Formats: sequence, C-alpha cells, structure tokens
Amino acid sequence: MARIIAGVGTSHVPLLGVAADGGKDRDAYFGPIFAGYDWTREWEKGEKPDVVILVYNDHASAFDANIIPTFAIGTGERYKPADEGWGPRKVPDVIGDPDLAWHIAQSLILDEFDMTIVNEMDVDHGLTVPLTMMFGAPEAWPVKVVPLAVNVVTYPVPSGNRCWALGEAIARAVASYPEDLNVQIWGTGGMSHQLQGPRAGLINAEWDRRFMDRLIGETDELRHVPHLEYLRETGSEGIEMVMWLIMRGALGKKTRLLHRHYHVPCSNTAIGHIVLEPET
Amino acid sequence: MSHEDEPDIHTYLAQFDDIPGTRVYTATRARKGYHLNQFAMSLMKAENRERWKADEAAYLAPWPMTEDQKAAVLARDYNRLLDLGGNIYFLSKIFSTDGLSFVQAVSTMTGMSVEDYQAMMNAGGRSPEGVRSIRENR
Repeated sequence: MARIIAGVGTSHVPLLGVAADGGKDRDAYFGPIFAGYDWTREWEKGEKPDVVILVYNDHASAFDANIIPTFAIGTGERYKPADEGWGPRKVPDVIGDPDLAWHIAQSLILDEFDMTIVNEMDVDHGLTVPLTMMFGAPEAWPVKVVPLAVNVVTYPVPSGNRCWALGEAIARAVASYPEDLNVQIWGTGGMSHQLQGPRAGLINAEWDRRFMDRLIGETDELRHVPHLEYLRETGSEGIEMVMWLIMRGALGKKTRLLHRHYHVPCSNTAIGHIVLEPET
Repeated sequence: MSHEDEPDIHTYLAQFDDIPGTRVYTATRARKGYHLNQFAMSLMKAENRERWKADEAAYLAPWPMTEDQKAAVLARDYNRLLDLGGNIYFLSKIFSTDGLSFVQAVSTMTGMSVEDYQAMMNAGGRSPEGVRSIRENR
C-alpha cells in the first residue's frame, strides 16, 4: 500500500531558482538561505520518496485569467518548466505519475472534493523552485510528482479549514492505493510577503514563526485562521501559507518536527522551511 | 451560508478595504482587469515579447482594454494598474519583459527608491506595526 511518510513546507520565491541556476546559491546573500536546506537534501537521499504530491500555486503561467480552478490536480505524464517572461528555467522536465494522480483525483471526488483535472500544463517557479531546494541540480528529478495547484490569487481563495480537510482526504486516497509507494506531500509558498501597493515589503517574522510552531504536534488551531488575519499580518501574498495546511492535514492528528529553517529576506519575501513526519 | 471561520461574502469582501496600502484581488478587480491581465499574460511567449518590444502602442491597440489601462501600461504605473484591475502575477510578465526583478518593480509602488527599499528588506522588511488596519489605527 502507498503511504505518506513525511511532509515538507517551503517558500518558492522565483529568485531562488535564478540564484541556483546562475550558481549564486552559496554567495553572501543566498548562502544563508540555501544552508537551511542542506539538512533536507541529505535527508531526502536517505528517504528516497517515490512520489511527491506537490501543493503549489500557479502564478498566471498555466492558468490565465480565463479559468480559475480552486483545486487542480495534474494527471499528465510530464510537465515542462513554464516561460514566465524571461524564458523557461533550464531544469529537467517534471515527470508525473498519472496512475496515482488519477486514483487520488477519483478518490477525492467521491470524498466530495470536486477537483479540476489537468492533463497538460507547464509548471512555473511555484513547483520547480521547491524541487531545486530539496534536490539541487540533478540530470533528472529523483521523484515523480503529482502537481496540486491551489487558487490563492483570486478571492475568495479556499479557507484554511478546507485546505486542511483536503489534506486529510489526500491521505485517505493515498492509503487506498494498492502499489507499494513512499509518498511525501509538500506545501509551498509564503511566508510573509506583499508584492503590491504602498505596503509592499511587509514581513512579520513573529507571526511566521508562530505559524510554523502550530504545524508541529497535535494542535489544529491553524484550521481556523481567517483570510483577513493572513492579509493583515503577513501581507497580501502571505495567504499562500494556506497551502501548507494541505500538507499538514495529510500528516494526520499529530506530527513530529525533523527540521526547520527561517530567513529574512529573499527578494521581497520571508523564507520558511519545515520537515515533519506523522506521529502515531 | 459560509463556514464559521469566515463571515458572509459581503462582510468578507468589505473587510479587505480596511488594510492600508493593499488592493486585494477580488472578483470586482478581476472583472475590471480581465483584458489587461490577459494582455500581460500574452508576454509569456517569446514571439509576442519581440512584437511588444518593437512597438508597444501597436501591440496594445487590438486589446479591448480601456485607454486608462493602456496609458498606465505604457507608463509602467503599477499602483494605477492595480487600481484598474491588474494582478501582480500577471503584471509581472510586463516587468519581467522589461528585465526588472520583483524587487525593482515592487519598489516602484512604495514611493521608495529601489536602494532604500532593498535596504529595508535587508533590515528585516516593513514592520506590520501601524499598517494592519485603517479603522483601528494599528
């Protein structure tokens, strides 16, 4: 049977991809950011997950203003890095797992999560930057990926509680898949940042750290944080943190902390990273 | 009917106007900015970027955008573009085509020089103190 063995949270700032692709990831500015991922890169080599369910948001790349799926799951064989206005990143294509993805999609729909199913799409920095942070620059990504895109751009975005519940449903779907697979679930985006208007540049390290604290252990307080609080406290783009709750929800009632990292700034954004495993 | 964690849709939307210096991308803005955002999206294709760079006004002409929107695009007035329904992730295709980073483009919306903005970020970013709520002045 397939099982979710761990959860990873990480920011997915596009500049991290630029830094890694340009060989600047150990310089004075980026070094302290990437150093916080060294532990995880080593750990991943030992864990050898077969598949990552990668929760991210598309930044007007695969989905334009025309079609706005709240929750979309990728069922394709492979996904190319998107051209976001400066040419596609020169990183390997992302290989999907259509059998598992379709199994999850079907299970979620029966479980009353009405998913949008995407067979073909390009994937932007929201998905490829986390792969870079966890795996560096391999010839081919060492895992298959099931992309799960969440609308966190056009309001209303899904509630924290709904995201958490989706994570729980994903865990049920994975547990009913007959193949023997080690699956990780990653929640990406955040942490505090605001990319627009006169209030741009907002960072709230204290709130971010409290958010990370509450992913650990038994508390489910984060289910009930309203959108307004993310917007006020962490900036307009801080709302991306609801995607980490899908990861947290999928880990079950209780989690154990394996690793955490926090750094300000990267570009306009606070970097957060956490590795958790389910505790039974 | 909404979940207990969120108010009804009218209150939900109205509360966003209480956040200083922020335009939350609501359906009203998304409707107003639809063609503006789709135009920006078109710059993801290399051949479109070439046509755009060759003659910006000519490239904009066939898009069913308002004259205000077109003028704000040509002026790269990003705060104005937000008011006219632009969303930052769509608008990023314009400034990426210009060769600007997010920090460079975002700083133009804050009234700060890019150097001052960068220095603020390096010192830990903008504090939330005093910019959480207009009504509650906190």
